[in-house]
Amino acid sequence: MRWLSDDKLKHLRSVVSEPDFSATKYTFVKELGRGGMGVVCLAEDRELDRLVAIKVLNTPELTADFGDRMIREAQIIARLEHPGIVPVHDVGTLPDGRIFYAMKYVRGSRLDEYAAQGASLRDRLRKFQSVCDAVAFAHAHGVIHRDLKPQNIMIGSFGEVLVLDWGIAKIRDDPRSSAFHQTTEGAVIGTRNYMSPEQARGEVDQLDERADIYSLGAVLSFLLKDQPKVSKAAHAISSKATATAKESRYASASHLSADIGRLLDAEPVSAYRENAFERTSRWVGKNRFLVLLVLAYLLMRIFLIFTSRR
Amino acid sequence: MTDPDTDIGGPLHKFPVTHHSAIINARSDDQHIRRRAFDTILASYWKPAYKYIRLKWRADNEDAKDLTQGFFANAFEKNYFATYDARKASFQTFLRTCLDGFVANERKAGQRLKRGGDVDHYQLDFAAAEHELAAHASSTLSPEDYFHREWVRWMFTLAVDAFRQRCEESGRTVHFQLFERYDLSDDEVSYASLAADFGLDTATVNNYLAAARRDFRRIVLEKLREITATDEEFRTEARSLLGVEC
Amino acid sequence: MSKPLIGVLLGAILGLIDGLTAWFTPAVRDQLLGIVIGSTLKGIIAGVAIGFFAKKFHSLPLGIVFGLLVGAFLAWLVAFMQGGYYFEIILPGTLVGLIVGFATQKYGKPAVTANT
Repeated sequence: MRWLSDDKLKHLRSVVSEPDFSATKYTFVKELGRGGMGVVCLAEDRELDRLVAIKVLNTPELTADFGDRMIREAQIIARLEHPGIVPVHDVGTLPDGRIFYAMKYVRGSRLDEYAAQGASLRDRLRKFQSVCDAVAFAHAHGVIHRDLKPQNIMIGSFGEVLVLDWGIAKIRDDPRSSAFHQTTEGAVIGTRNYMSPEQARGEVDQLDERADIYSLGAVLSFLLKDQPKVSKAAHAISSKATATAKESRYASASHLSADIGRLLDAEPVSAYRENAFERTSRWVGKNRFLVLLVLAYLLMRIFLIFTSRR
Repeated sequence: MTDPDTDIGGPLHKFPVTHHSAIINARSDDQHIRRRAFDTILASYWKPAYKYIRLKWRADNEDAKDLTQGFFANAFEKNYFATYDARKASFQTFLRTCLDGFVANERKAGQRLKRGGDVDHYQLDFAAAEHELAAHASSTLSPEDYFHREWVRWMFTLAVDAFRQRCEESGRTVHFQLFERYDLSDDEVSYASLAADFGLDTATVNNYLAAARRDFRRIVLEKLREITATDEEFRTEARSLLGVEC
Repeated sequence: MSKPLIGVLLGAILGLIDGLTAWFTPAVRDQLLGIVIGSTLKGIIAGVAIGFFAKKFHSLPLGIVFGLLVGAFLAWLVAFMQGGYYFEIILPGTLVGLIVGFATQKYGKPAVTANT
């Protein structure tokens, strides 16, 4: 039998994991990335003449029931029509039995890349607020993401923010639900650094929207890291979102988004109680120009008083 | 009219029939079923086991050969694999642990294994294994990682051989030849050069290669299915075999 | 708070301060009450005009320029009636107009646009 060298082995492994789109309307263009769940490819939709991103899941064999469930849940996620949620265009099965779903191809950079490019604190917070809004929308439709992290958030070429990879999303109140990935009690899914304590303990059935709130708080911490002049209020928002006890976190992503909005508008935030000095400083900071004008007026007045005395 | 942005559909292809697992069949009360299951397990693991014994236990080639044959003979006679529990570890890990235990006991007993048993008739090509070991031994991997890597290599080798046989049986030798030239050979070839060599157009070369790769993948997964006990283990080992990062 | 109201309040406060600083000019100290009332009224008038301008026209540069002009004009009127102290009256009056112009454009409830 032929000896397979390490290089040849590596090649064959990539050959067998490369998706075969021959019986679909897609033409493989290139691989975009790989992860534990599968491979993401850039493909051309020949019917609509556009590029799409296709995620092919590494579940080589399935029962018909599992496949039906994944498609049903894909339909629920596909109905999340929100500018911040990457739309799912299609779901199907490749000739080799693997499930795939096709979604909008987002040109841009991931949130971690965007932050590394030196985005200002204000811009980071605005993007983060958009993420919260998208997640709030999903929650309102009963979908929990469960894997929120900077790598799953894209900043498009027009500055739009999109939340990707709903592959391990959970449909609330459906204990069997776990789009694209079967999970059982005790199984830990998600990304550790951004995972809520209850998720890390594998309490799959007890997860609710507050697990995503925790992850959002962790994303906010990431965005605030190494930034100069981060206010106590910003840190307080992050701490509240990442509270160990879920009862202590924000009740919803909308509340978190609202607090970020208040922070951006130099308004008091719910997560932090200011003292009188901080309140005054904040007001002065917010109305800097007016305060300077009035000070200039008063200085001018004093100047005129002194000159008239002479 | 459906909105192309939200229309979800597409045919759900028929799923491949689940093959019987040799691991499960190894516990069968029927001797013949057990024997066939054992053959499958032996075929999949003898070579990585031999190399592992040579590397980890520093056995010379004769001892390693005896130990390998002795282990599998004992495994069959004493039905080692009946105690395997997929919830605790992968079959690969279980087998390797049993192998370590067997070799340790043999060393302790200090007896030279009598060659033979039920493994004798299998014509295992230890000479080729020894040659590969001499030419390609790794000093950087731990013995466990080395075992895994050699298992992966051997699984793909068996799959290539099985694919070749199936293509010959079904009269699709061109498919295999194209696959061999493009994916197995060290020479850089293009679709155009293959098309010229085989008297085909490039579109046909593309289609044949896509079909060949698809069939090859199916065979790799079939082989894997045979030596895993549960769907969960199968999926885990598939990710490992196909080199997906976790 | 509406823009005209912001204009009135700010104009009145700054007009009052303006008037009170006349105490530091001994020559007019005995007319202080009249100066304070006049200055405050001037501030209110300027504030109303600038506030209504801000309600109608949403442009920070325009609002500042309008405020400047109104403040300067009213201050010139006062100085003319006084017959002197042009610099001491027009400069602060202009600055008050600028401040009120800025504040009415930046703050306050804008006018509700009717649906067409």
